[in-house]
Amino acid sequence: MTGMAPAPQPETDAPKPAGHIPGQPDMWVLVLFEALVFTAYFAVYLFHRSASSELFLRSQADLNPWLGTLDTVLLLTSSMFMLRCVQAARAGAVRTAMTNVCLTAALGVAFLASKITEWILLTRDGHGFTSNEFFLYYFFLTGIHLLHLLIGFITLGVIIYQLRNPKRRSQEIVETCATYWHTVDLLWILIFSLLYVVR
Amino acid sequence: MNALTKRRSLIVLLVLVAITLGYLALDSAADNGSAYRASTAVTVIAICLALIKVRLIFREFMQVKNAPTVLRRLTDLWVLLIGATLLGSYFLGLAVH
Amino acid sequence: MSGWRNDPKRELWLAWYAMIAFYNIFVIVFFFMTHAQPPPYPFWSDGQVVHWFNGNHNALLIGFGIVFATAALTLPANALIAYSMRRMSVSRAFAYCYLVIYSLSALPGMLLLCVVLSVGAMRPDRDPAQLHWLYDFAFLSYVGTMGIFLIGSLVWMLAILLDKNRVLPKWFGYLNLCNALTEVVVSPAWIFHQGVLDWNGLISWWINMVVFGIYTSAFMMLLRQMIQREDFGDGPLPDLPKTPKAPRAKAKVTALTGTGTGTPR
Repeated sequence: MTGMAPAPQPETDAPKPAGHIPGQPDMWVLVLFEALVFTAYFAVYLFHRSASSELFLRSQADLNPWLGTLDTVLLLTSSMFMLRCVQAARAGAVRTAMTNVCLTAALGVAFLASKITEWILLTRDGHGFTSNEFFLYYFFLTGIHLLHLLIGFITLGVIIYQLRNPKRRSQEIVETCATYWHTVDLLWILIFSLLYVVR
Repeated sequence: MNALTKRRSLIVLLVLVAITLGYLALDSAADNGSAYRASTAVTVIAICLALIKVRLIFREFMQVKNAPTVLRRLTDLWVLLIGATLLGSYFLGLAVH
Repeated sequence: MSGWRNDPKRELWLAWYAMIAFYNIFVIVFFFMTHAQPPPYPFWSDGQVVHWFNGNHNALLIGFGIVFATAALTLPANALIAYSMRRMSVSRAFAYCYLVIYSLSALPGMLLLCVVLSVGAMRPDRDPAQLHWLYDFAFLSYVGTMGIFLIGSLVWMLAILLDKNRVLPKWFGYLNLCNALTEVVVSPAWIFHQGVLDWNGLISWWINMVVFGIYTSAFMMLLRQMIQREDFGDGPLPDLPKTPKAPRAKAKVTALTGTGTGTPR
């Protein structure tokens, strides 16, 4: 360990070697790849938006920006708890880690409920997947994102499974799953800004 | 996990939430109560703010700030790539339509 | 020659070359001969569909004739993928599952389109409405039967992620998830006749194809490496043998930095 980078900064917790990749490097391949795929979808959306600007703006007005903001805050907060879970697990504080991952899951469920509520409200107002071009993109992007969220619940389950059994516990797997969960949050940040905020 | 790291993660969250609420302010200023109007300024600002949030999430929540240089450079490159693609496709759409 | 006859990896290499041959034939026939890929538009009128059949008449019959004769090349290709799962530390059930799923998948997923379009091309004087019906049937069956491919990808993904023998890298396991998700993204093709989510759509076909292309190239390369690494044991697969140049380069770096790590920090 001699000759390596200086000791970690004071705000980090239990000492780890400088230049630590969170989780399996392989998961980062998925994160970056999915980010690109979604960016491609976003590019298609943004390109076509200006073709029917009036229609898109009119339809966008039927979205509820407060619900969208709530969704964003829910996922951001869940990411914070996810980070705390990883930090606690690294420091060996398993109970704290468990509490934090459960909070993450609870907020994820709250997001799911909020999203479904929003979908129900929209469809009750007559806006569906096939209503018009804007709602095609809206339901497609939020739908595929929701699928990623559901997969995220599986990764949270893996974390809980890892934390419960001291023999099986692997910090690398916990961090790998956490990395995936943050990606769900990251993708939503972009979706929210493109569907709800841009004009 | 000590009090300092807990505080840092909370501060990061508050910054991200503030930017999110900033979106509401941005939109209400642009719309001004009437029907939505197309606005390049709002779109560009919205995308840039989203990229700032994405980079914050990479650095802080995904702990890239403690990662090897390769990952730090790669995620920064990704933010630039996403930004260029989004802004590029938006302006291309405006030019073509 | 005798080296080839006694090589224990002979069958594996035959399977790998069969896979390469199949994909080459597939690309040439579907993309360049028959123009079935990229798919023509779902919103065409009867007249435009008839025009497409007439324009591709010979290519359709000859091209798909070639596919009918060579489709069996998918069998060793699927067997090789199943073999990768047998070599893993996970249950053999994964390999068998995959084999069953993918053996059946080619029927609605590729051959049905070939049969139906050949039927359409066979009698050019058919009623245009009938030709249009065959056209819809062909392309929807091809694009729409994604459930089996989805499950197959997930089976392979799970096997790779649980595997302790390092047969295939974990990043490819995750790439299987990306591929599985493309199967979901293509499903709106049943609903839309035009736009970005129809069977020729920018999202449901073009972007999907890029993902699929990357995925397929990845597993061709990885299966090749797997065969090179194969030691016919039960434990973890050894790494690829290092190239002879590497030790010289390493020695140079060691001399320069004095630490052997080569990193400037």
